[in-house]
Amino acid sequence: MVFEIGRLCIKIAGRDAGKKTLVVDVLENNYVLIDGLTRRRKCNIMHLEPLDKVLKIAKGASTDVVLKALKDEGIEIPEKTKKKDKKETTPRPKKQKVKKEKPVKVKKEIKKPVKEEKKKEEKTKESEPIKTKTETKETTPVKEENPKVEKTETKVEEKPAKIEEPKN
Amino acid sequence: MPAPRHRSRTMRRVFKKTPGGKTVLHYSKRKPSKPQCGGCGKPLQGVPRKRVTEMQNLPKTAKRPDRPYGGILCTECTRALMIEKARQQ
Repeated sequence: MVFEIGRLCIKIAGRDAGKKTLVVDVLENNYVLIDGLTRRRKCNIMHLEPLDKVLKIAKGASTDVVLKALKDEGIEIPEKTKKKDKKETTPRPKKQKVKKEKPVKVKKEIKKPVKEEKKKEEKTKESEPIKTKTETKETTPVKEENPKVEKTETKVEEKPAKIEEPKN
Repeated sequence: MPAPRHRSRTMRRVFKKTPGGKTVLHYSKRKPSKPQCGGCGKPLQGVPRKRVTEMQNLPKTAKRPDRPYGGILCTECTRALMIEKARQQ
């Protein structure tokens, strides 16, 4: 028998072709249990090329025993690089979002029933929130001339603000 | 008469059936040829015949077999190579 327990072989076929293995156990129908630099599995004799050496191993030896025997012979065993080691590197710095500061709004007690006058009064009161009723009346006609310019400014700052209604 | 750009044979003619029941002529690009073994010249298995832009979207394992010299040599040539290397040692 060429393929006896402990025989050094090289795999010819498969995705682990070209790697050295040891015969660990003989199975029926031209099959053999191999282990070493490849995974521990059964393999067909047709896919193995035997070498001259025969090492001393017990039947059904574990992978640790097999690897030790290969090391004593002088065969290099490549180290396995795990993906977990790569992830232990320093994490990426997270992007810091710059928050825009919003202007502080002055809350008002009395509610407004009409919606049309709200926008006009918002323009007047956001610019001068602490004014009295008389002053707002004077400023409203001036600002009504350019409603579009002020509307764009107010849209950014729109919020449910309670605004007074100058009733006259 | 077909348009001058459609008269060359780099575009292939394809007849398609419309939902209305008519057959209509369409033009489409050709597939590249099958890859050959580097040793013996036989056509290789496991490598899809797609244009470069389509191949770039495929994962690495879908473009070649997972064997040493996969996509370059056929199975017989790789086996012969492996046996030669083993007998040298």
